[in-house]
Amino acid sequence: MIKLDHISKRFGDIAALGDVSFEIPASQITIVAGADGAGKSTLFKIMVGLVKKDSGQIYFKGRDIGSDFSQITAHTGYMPERFSLYPDLSVEENLNFYADIRHVPHKQREERKHQLLEKTGMLPFKKRRAGALSGGMKQKLSLSSILLSAPEFIILDEPTTGVDPLSRLEFFNIIEDLKKEGKTIAISTPYLDEAERGDYIVFLKDGHVFKRDSIENLRQQFPAKLFRILPDGNIFDIMESVKKNSQLSESLYIRGKYIKYLQSGQESLLNLIPHREVEEEKPKLEDMYIYYERLAKKQRT
Amino acid sequence: MTENIIQVKNLTKQFGHFTAVNGINFNIKKGEILGFLGPNGAGKTTTIKMINGLLKISSGQILIKDMDSEKYRKQLKQIMGYMSQKFSLYPLLSSFENIEFFGGISGLSRKVIKEKQEEIKALIDTAILMQKTSDIPPGIRQKVSLFVCLLTDPEIIFLDEPTSGVDPEVRRDFWFEIYHLKKMGKTILVSTHNLDEVEYADRMLIIHRGNLLMEGEPDRLLKEYGKNSIDDLFKEAILSEDKQHSEVTR
Repeated sequence: MIKLDHISKRFGDIAALGDVSFEIPASQITIVAGADGAGKSTLFKIMVGLVKKDSGQIYFKGRDIGSDFSQITAHTGYMPERFSLYPDLSVEENLNFYADIRHVPHKQREERKHQLLEKTGMLPFKKRRAGALSGGMKQKLSLSSILLSAPEFIILDEPTTGVDPLSRLEFFNIIEDLKKEGKTIAISTPYLDEAERGDYIVFLKDGHVFKRDSIENLRQQFPAKLFRILPDGNIFDIMESVKKNSQLSESLYIRGKYIKYLQSGQESLLNLIPHREVEEEKPKLEDMYIYYERLAKKQRT
Repeated sequence: MTENIIQVKNLTKQFGHFTAVNGINFNIKKGEILGFLGPNGAGKTTTIKMINGLLKISSGQILIKDMDSEKYRKQLKQIMGYMSQKFSLYPLLSSFENIEFFGGISGLSRKVIKEKQEEIKALIDTAILMQKTSDIPPGIRQKVSLFVCLLTDPEIIFLDEPTSGVDPEVRRDFWFEIYHLKKMGKTILVSTHNLDEVEYADRMLIIHRGNLLMEGEPDRLLKEYGKNSIDDLFKEAILSEDKQHSEVTR
């Protein structure tokens, strides 16, 4: 659907994006994963023409759009990180307002509103003031607002940041429904657990893509074995004690009460870690993020 | 003094007709890490702010080292450190200037402030410390925030969602810092949305709609409720409270 080719952007001394390239495949969920300050929002803003890129090309459906962003925006619903709802208007009034500014024909309006409210479970709250909604509900209303014009491409900038784990799950259920309807979705998030529900992923850090692929490929081609270790003793003390062995400590990290060990070569260093239990595990995206991020760091130095 | 450095008794906070915290009771033991969980708007930050004296209590009582938190607010303020959500440093000031500013309002002498500014140089590159904090990487900003929170060498430390929005690697590094503080004998309360992190805590609390739903050691709670992960435990707590709530309002 969209192809980004060598996009760079600087803000004064700060390189916000450095030579970013990737494609957003049609009718799939593409995840842009990274921490605060990775460049996720800048990237999305460049895609809809809100921030000017310094260099690089953007292709929409195979055509170089040049500087004519209306080729993208006419088909796109973009939800920025802080989407402005009108707190004094009701849920329905907010939807009416966005329907007006997106020129949604009056004939279709009632039906679409009803569908969206139903899909997001917001129907009982139609008359409630937007200001009185919970964080999760506000996000659902914001999403409904941008869906009113039935865009084929949907860009969601950190819709779930700071939203509690349960509401995040619910939000992603809606996203998966949208995919089933054939929509193309690009979504940025700092949470790698929900990223598992995407099709394609771009890992972004300090404005650079350090890994991108379909999530299926990543899972199949992950080059390391992963072990989950229940340490025999305090987890922090044990991590501290193995620090001297740099080969070992480079392949270890903690998650909850477990130490994770990424074995890249043939030689296993498991016995150097005082443990009570060891179990091999299927790597998750968070494990892959850490693996590829450390690899990229190593290659830089 | 009892082993409980903080005792929260029947604590309630009302904002107009809205009850943000609804008569909760819990203790914080000296030297422990207490994990604090709950959805957005559950009352976590409100509770923290009542304990550290930033918000007035509507009813109930908080004892810190057996002293009433409102009566001895001034003295107690000296022994508590608070790192707020999104770590509020002044974005237009450099890290050095932030230390000077926060040191100043905490009553540190010029000499001590200078010492602290020297101390942080051992942790972070001086060039970065001279930049506006809005321009430095979030992981380093977080370190500076923690440093600022510890300026007065507090005994009790409140960390309100210190790891939201940070890199998985940085998030882990931060927990080593927290554990280091525990080893120094500090008492630490940490709220978080990253549920796996609660396993590093000695004990945990789950609150929702201002009510305390669960309290105890993570392992013990998992066993008690027959759950495999904190995620499942959290879901169970929240959904059962939601169900009760809808029955009551019906």
